Amino acid sequence: MPKIALSVNSQPVSHDVEGRLLLVDFIREVLGLTGTHVGCDTSQCGACVVHVNGQPVKSCTLLAVQADGADVTTIEGVSPDQGLNPLQQAFHEKHGLQCGFCTPGMVMTAMALIEDNPDPSDADIRHGLEGNICRCTGYQNIVEAVRTGAKVMRG
Amino acid sequence: MTDVTIGQPVRRSEDERFLTGRGRYIDDINLEGQARAVVLRSVYAHARIKNIDASGALAMEGVLLVVTGEDWIAEGFGPMPTKTAIRKNRDGSELSEPPRHCLAIGRVRYVGEPVALVVAETDPIARDALDLIDVDYESLDAVTDAVEALAPDAPQLWDDIPGNLCIDFELGDREGVEKAFAEADHVITLDLENNRVTAVPIEPRGCVGSYDPETDTYLLYNSTQNVHAIRDTLAENVFGIDKEKIRHIAPDVGGGFGVKNSAYPEPPLVLYAAKKLGRPVKWINNRSESFLSDTHGRGQTSRVQLAIDNDGTFRALRTETVAGIGAYCWTIGPFTPTGGSARTQGGPYDFPVMYYRSRAVFINTGPMDPYRGAGRPEATFQTERIIEYAARQLGLDPIEIRRKNLMRPEKLPHKTSMGLNIDCGDFPKVFERTLKLADPGSFAERAEQIKTAGRRFGFAIAPYLECTGGGPKEFAGVAFGADGTVSLSVGSQSTGMGHETSMAQLLAARLGIPFERVEYHQADTDKTPIGGGHGGSRGMELGGNAVAQAAGEVIEKASGLAAHLLQSKAADLTFEGGSFKDSGSGASVSMVEVIEASFDSERLPDDLEPGCLDTGSTFERGEISIPNGCHAAAVEVDPKTGAILLLGYWVVDDFGTIINPLLADGQVMGGVAQGIGQVLTENIVFDDSGQLITGSLMDYGLPRADGVPDMVIEYYEGAPTKKNPLGVKGAGEAGCVGSLPAVVNAVLDALKEFGVVHIDIPLTSEKVWRAVQDQGAHDPKGLIEGAL
Repeated sequence: MPKIALSVNSQPVSHDVEGRLLLVDFIREVLGLTGTHVGCDTSQCGACVVHVNGQPVKSCTLLAVQADGADVTTIEGVSPDQGLNPLQQAFHEKHGLQCGFCTPGMVMTAMALIEDNPDPSDADIRHGLEGNICRCTGYQNIVEAVRTGAKVMRG
Repeated sequence: MTDVTIGQPVRRSEDERFLTGRGRYIDDINLEGQARAVVLRSVYAHARIKNIDASGALAMEGVLLVVTGEDWIAEGFGPMPTKTAIRKNRDGSELSEPPRHCLAIGRVRYVGEPVALVVAETDPIARDALDLIDVDYESLDAVTDAVEALAPDAPQLWDDIPGNLCIDFELGDREGVEKAFAEADHVITLDLENNRVTAVPIEPRGCVGSYDPETDTYLLYNSTQNVHAIRDTLAENVFGIDKEKIRHIAPDVGGGFGVKNSAYPEPPLVLYAAKKLGRPVKWINNRSESFLSDTHGRGQTSRVQLAIDNDGTFRALRTETVAGIGAYCWTIGPFTPTGGSARTQGGPYDFPVMYYRSRAVFINTGPMDPYRGAGRPEATFQTERIIEYAARQLGLDPIEIRRKNLMRPEKLPHKTSMGLNIDCGDFPKVFERTLKLADPGSFAERAEQIKTAGRRFGFAIAPYLECTGGGPKEFAGVAFGADGTVSLSVGSQSTGMGHETSMAQLLAARLGIPFERVEYHQADTDKTPIGGGHGGSRGMELGGNAVAQAAGEVIEKASGLAAHLLQSKAADLTFEGGSFKDSGSGASVSMVEVIEASFDSERLPDDLEPGCLDTGSTFERGEISIPNGCHAAAVEVDPKTGAILLLGYWVVDDFGTIINPLLADGQVMGGVAQGIGQVLTENIVFDDSGQLITGSLMDYGLPRADGVPDMVIEYYEGAPTKKNPLGVKGAGEAGCVGSLPAVVNAVLDALKEFGVVHIDIPLTSEKVWRAVQDQGAHDPKGLIEGAL
């Protein structure tokens, strides 16, 4: 089995992994970071989005071995020990989540979106979240949360 | 410390764990020593199983167990019965119900039907082992279309059920309708289809089960909406054991929408395997398997007929439906197209007479069971489509004929031909308010611009009538802790709706205690003696009223202790704003202080013990409630490409008393989005041999962030129902009920200059484009003729 060494949420990790192991399964099953979710098997839903070297990536589209040497950040890595970060707080205020299953992926995609575009229009946000499916909210409150979160983060 | 009130948009307690990745969903649960199960599913829609050879799989390293239908029957396990409330044919005879076992017995009847369970050390090993099970099938002819399944020469699914007919149901006044049809100026007829879709909660189903030989009990964690009812089916029907032998828990559930309300075969298979192997077993569905094995919804072909006079007065409504329910009767599969679709026929309009007939038919597809609304979206769709169609056929204004025929408030209470008791509401007021919010006249200039750009503007309004459903009883238990915490256990269940907040809000508001002190528990058969779970928009109607009733009992108990503390008589005390007050002396004590005193032996009278304020209360619904409201949609359609863009969406709902408007908004928004998805892109398609064509998220079009418009939502709170003490009417499914006709009719309004009067959903670009090319040519009696 190949051995991989990478950084996950700023912690160095190294592991022997099966060649066919997906990055999302490495994160969930091997590292026990269960905030990253699996909602489909065709890289459509976005519940598994994490950041790989700063880019939002559907972690079901990568093999764990492809993340060898990478910097990976998961929802656990962007969450404060207590409370919420400004974007998470905006999701809470605007009721941008219901069942919560798509939420970590949605937050990770939105954080990267705001990083790229600190003042996104609603159209930018809707386009940017097109790869993340939410079945509960109808998206309206998510869009509002991202707009609000971006504003807070701009200061 | 936060004081909360009823009607306040309290932010959710559950958000923090979901936002930080600390939610605990089914796939996050792992039990020590667990094995992994996968299901071998039928690749044929209809075939005889001649032989199953599992020796190759069993010889593989790491494979622990293979269970087939023969093994299952040999164990003596029973089938899972339907719990449909509608069980009689028109002629009074019983519906036809074939046995639904957890594994196929001798014959498969749909692609995806469980044929065997494989358990192995790991999930990949179990999946690899699937390929090593050799099933010898003899293929049979399949039928996947319900109208075709009724034809005399159709393939037969069950040897002892002639004509594939499960149930032939009717409701209403058949003769009265015939008389009105003979007398009315016009009878307008339209055949239409409410396409088959599926809920797709983003969390797939799964479960983890274990067995304890010392106590002979099972523990089942399951991504379900209904722990009590499903436990009962597993214990009493499948295993034939006492139901207390199974503890059934749903952890955080990632969406349900009805699809997790069914008794599925996988959980009992997992429990059996756990007992057999003496170790816990876990099973998680993947998305492709979910499309094959989750229940689907809608899927009705109907002829709708409206008797209408020249002046636009509605005289009668008749609907005849044929609906495929899959190869078996699922949990309430036969109910949705029968009673579920019958009751709200005719919507909020004043129809003197109505008649509804439907046949539920066995077909070689996966199962049908409730999907958000379970019949009411279908009924509203049928009603609103025929009204719009009639208006177009007769050159009447679709807004005006709706306005003219809406039931006036002074007509209420009123019992419809469908037996629905409409107690209160103001349909004209809700209608006019929606129209004012949407203000279609204000779009005139924009419509011109859109037309100049080669596209067309369309608008439609769709009033709807709803009714609640689901289990008629609910339990709420309140237990106080010496540390100030208040444990609230409720038998209804949130799968995302936020009961952890709204139920706690209700209790805290009623008792006048800090919201944060309430710890909410749900979906655990050990925590509440009964529970109706989630379904039929019953959360607040049943669960909320149970909480309110329990709060009343706590106040009653606490008043005795308060009187002792104040040295008053309980009869002299009033409870307001969280405090008991002696009307004579003016002395008062807060509920918080009374709760503290209940744990203080110094202050407790001799006849009371700590915990004396605890209560457990069962609320029973007298009659189902009637939520209602009105939707309006504005769209832009490109006749050259068939592309549809939603420009605006407006909703006014009468849900009675609103407990938390923030959460109610969320329910409406999500429901509307699901309706928009069904109208525009979602569609379950089988080929002629019964293979599922739309079996992944690459093929099944869910709405995305860029396809759902912002919505304007308001509530009419002028008519709280007296059918329950809280005055709530149910909010969970209404968004799905109003949105189908609003969007379809808006698109058809945009296409009126091309003569397009009907397109069956989903309104894909191709279908819209073809309808424009064909100048609206369609056969109004095209779909169901053969089955009438």
